[in-house]
Amino acid sequence: MFYTLINAIDKYLPFPLAKAHCDVPCGIYDPITAQIDALTVVRMMDLMDSLSDGDEKSRKDFHNSMSRYVAVKEQHAESAKHEIRVIWGDFIKDAHVEKYPQLHGLVHKIMQLGSKCRQTADRAQGLALVDAVNEFAEIFWAIKDVKTKKAKAPYAPGLEMVYPDL
Amino acid sequence: MIKIIKVTGSSLSPSFLPGDYVLIRRSPRLLRNLSPGDVVVFHHDVYGSLIKKVRSNIQSNQVVYTEGTHAESISTEEIGPVNYRHITGKVIKKFSSIS
Repeated sequence: MFYTLINAIDKYLPFPLAKAHCDVPCGIYDPITAQIDALTVVRMMDLMDSLSDGDEKSRKDFHNSMSRYVAVKEQHAESAKHEIRVIWGDFIKDAHVEKYPQLHGLVHKIMQLGSKCRQTADRAQGLALVDAVNEFAEIFWAIKDVKTKKAKAPYAPGLEMVYPDL
Repeated sequence: MIKIIKVTGSSLSPSFLPGDYVLIRRSPRLLRNLSPGDVVVFHHDVYGSLIKKVRSNIQSNQVVYTEGTHAESISTEEIGPVNYRHITGKVIKKFSSIS
């Protein structure tokens, strides 16, 4: 209650700041990188599907494009895992886990879904990865006391995403 | 003298997180009695206003040595001795965003 009151006063009459200074520029964390990675994974799966359906491709072009989609899918699935691990390892503290006890389980789920998205081209796994990373983003912004909103990504595959409502 | 200060940075995490507020108090007696583990806000010529944990209090020289709790905090040596006159106050209450 006191925090809310002080925080409200701070918005109109800002209090002086004191830095708990670190050696490296810390505090810059944002799950959006992982969210875009997860979206990219689904996009690559969709492109792989569309390529399979095409009948105009020569055999060489087909393999060239398919290889590229697979490579990008691999890269972004792994990047999503990496980005979440960094926030989980460096930003998330015991107090956050006490408040959001599902955090550890959710991160583990993201790790497994990221791996599934590398092992397979199953769109359902890609969608599950997007959902799980969005859930992580929602908790992350709640920890930072930043409101969130849900909106469709303004690019293919146009899935619903969690964004900070600034 | 009592003040409210807002914490930025993570070097005192998880005890103090960015966005937390602290109530600080300053008096000559309070400065003399600072003990290891107490948290103080002070002015540093290079880093500006800092919040750190007291590591030791050298009353004869009227200075304290401070440290962070996070592995990436700037070191006690980099901060150097903090003269009593540069100490804005001792933290006597924390208001955390994490309830």
